Amino acid sequence: MPNILVVTEYRNQSLSEMSYQILSKGRQLADQRQMELVAVIAGKGVNAYARELTKWADKVLSVSNNKLEGLAEPYQKMVSYLIKEEKPRIVLMGHSSFAMDMIPALSVELGVPLVTDCIDIFWQNDDILVKRSIYNGKMNAIYSFAPSETVLITGRVGEFALEEGHREGRVEEIEIPLDEEYDNKIFEGYHKTAEGGIDITRAEVLISIGRGIREKKYLEMAEELAQALGGVVSCSRPIVDYGWLPPERQVGLSGKTVKPKLYLSLGISGAFQHIVGMKNAKLVVAINKDAQAPIFSVASYGIVDDVLRVVPALVNKINELKGATH
Amino acid sequence: MDIIACIKRVPDTSESDILKINPSQKGIETDRLVFKINNWDEYVLETAVRLKEKFEGTVTAITVGPADWDEILRRTLAMGADRGIRIDQDVNADDIYTVAVILEKVIGRLSYDLVLFGAQSEDFGSGQLGAMVSEMLGIAHATLVTSLKIEEKKVHVKREMEAGSLQSYTIDLPALLTIHTGINQPRYISVGGIRRAMQKELKVLSLDDMGSPLNTLTPMVKLEKLELPPKGKQAELISGTPEQAVEKLAKILKDAGIY
Repeated sequence: MPNILVVTEYRNQSLSEMSYQILSKGRQLADQRQMELVAVIAGKGVNAYARELTKWADKVLSVSNNKLEGLAEPYQKMVSYLIKEEKPRIVLMGHSSFAMDMIPALSVELGVPLVTDCIDIFWQNDDILVKRSIYNGKMNAIYSFAPSETVLITGRVGEFALEEGHREGRVEEIEIPLDEEYDNKIFEGYHKTAEGGIDITRAEVLISIGRGIREKKYLEMAEELAQALGGVVSCSRPIVDYGWLPPERQVGLSGKTVKPKLYLSLGISGAFQHIVGMKNAKLVVAINKDAQAPIFSVASYGIVDDVLRVVPALVNKINELKGATH
Repeated sequence: MDIIACIKRVPDTSESDILKINPSQKGIETDRLVFKINNWDEYVLETAVRLKEKFEGTVTAITVGPADWDEILRRTLAMGADRGIRIDQDVNADDIYTVAVILEKVIGRLSYDLVLFGAQSEDFGSGQLGAMVSEMLGIAHATLVTSLKIEEKKVHVKREMEAGSLQSYTIDLPALLTIHTGINQPRYISVGGIRRAMQKELKVLSLDDMGSPLNTLTPMVKLEKLELPPKGKQAELISGTPEQAVEKLAKILKDAGIY
């Protein structure tokens, strides 16, 4: 039976959230064409998770090998081996940092097509098509694949809904020969970008700044607004890149996930990496001069204007109203 | 230390109001767009030039594109690259695999210790080109690099993962790295830099010059069509002058119990 192979990511004794989203999508695509879903999970002591995956997959391949820790190259060899064994029509993986290190090289090694960071994956007759978001989220592009026994697809985090699995698949513990030594690349360990400082995940009000504030001196303006509203200043990636705020203030995929009562974004366009970190805030308000900025699609209220014009007026207004009630 | 920096030209769509699809359905109308060097590639150049300043050697900037891409190569020369190479081929509509094959052919003929790419492009953002080229060249790689240090014939790198986590590696040179934003602060281009750039070599190669059957290479992936994203839910916009708008916003925040 033709099949779809989902490559899951197991790290630090847990399976990534993205893995479940991709499994859900894989199950759906397999059901639409009466295909089998095969999932692979690899690492040390993965058996408990392997059994859980049988809710989605017809067959779970559980691979235990110490070489698979932290290094993309043996992982690539493992997936490559499985593709040759299983001959899947489609290989699905979450578009994670780890996938970005591994999948492109795999595509070259096997000579098979790859499309990364897809926001949709769908059948058109018996062809698989994918959709990507391009040009800062302002356009979508649909791609097809050249004829190939297998195609590789990575899916964007948060784009595929997690659906409960109701299968009762089976687990196969397998050994994969990974004899090669990787002397030219040594994995040294995991680290954190920053610890300590202000914990933005505990703040009820976040005033979040982005590129649109233009100069470091306007940070003060955001601080004033935060003070007026009893909140804390957080930011999008460019602000940390510029060194204006420390990494622990960054909201988004590579930073923190926040859920405040109010998320007031100032000059943030809303790249998806940012949006996944704040979309569950109770109330989102966005001020940005670009009316097409994707942030307006997650905000409840928006002001299309220059933050430097709006924020000082807002600080005055809030302080004035607060003064009046006291 | 000889460094190769692969760069790309992109349209600046960050604040463009309306992107229009052209009649082919496979590209956008570009006549009103401003083009620039890919944001990630500025960090690539800064990384390359700093390493050269410390260890001596050369920086070669390479791009694959038509003649109007020379402008960004000149910019890299003004930032401190020693020479530029442009492969004269319009690959925008082609697939990334084709670009990787072209770059491998060019880079494979040069001597290098380090090959640098931006972690992704601003326009298509697939983030796969660098790691593809490393596999073709048969050298070790790390993507999404946020810090690096050269020691002897090795490079120590940290690469970014999700949720504030990093991985660190020690990699033998030659190696290929894809560089993430924030690794440094790219320098401004000086007048002296622009003047010196005029004296530097900017070489243009055709696919034929590289003597390979690239013209017959079949794309692995085909762009079928572009479409505007569905509008979906949109914020309720508060209009008026800043004073009028903040008055309404202050009320909304009050009603939500924020202050």
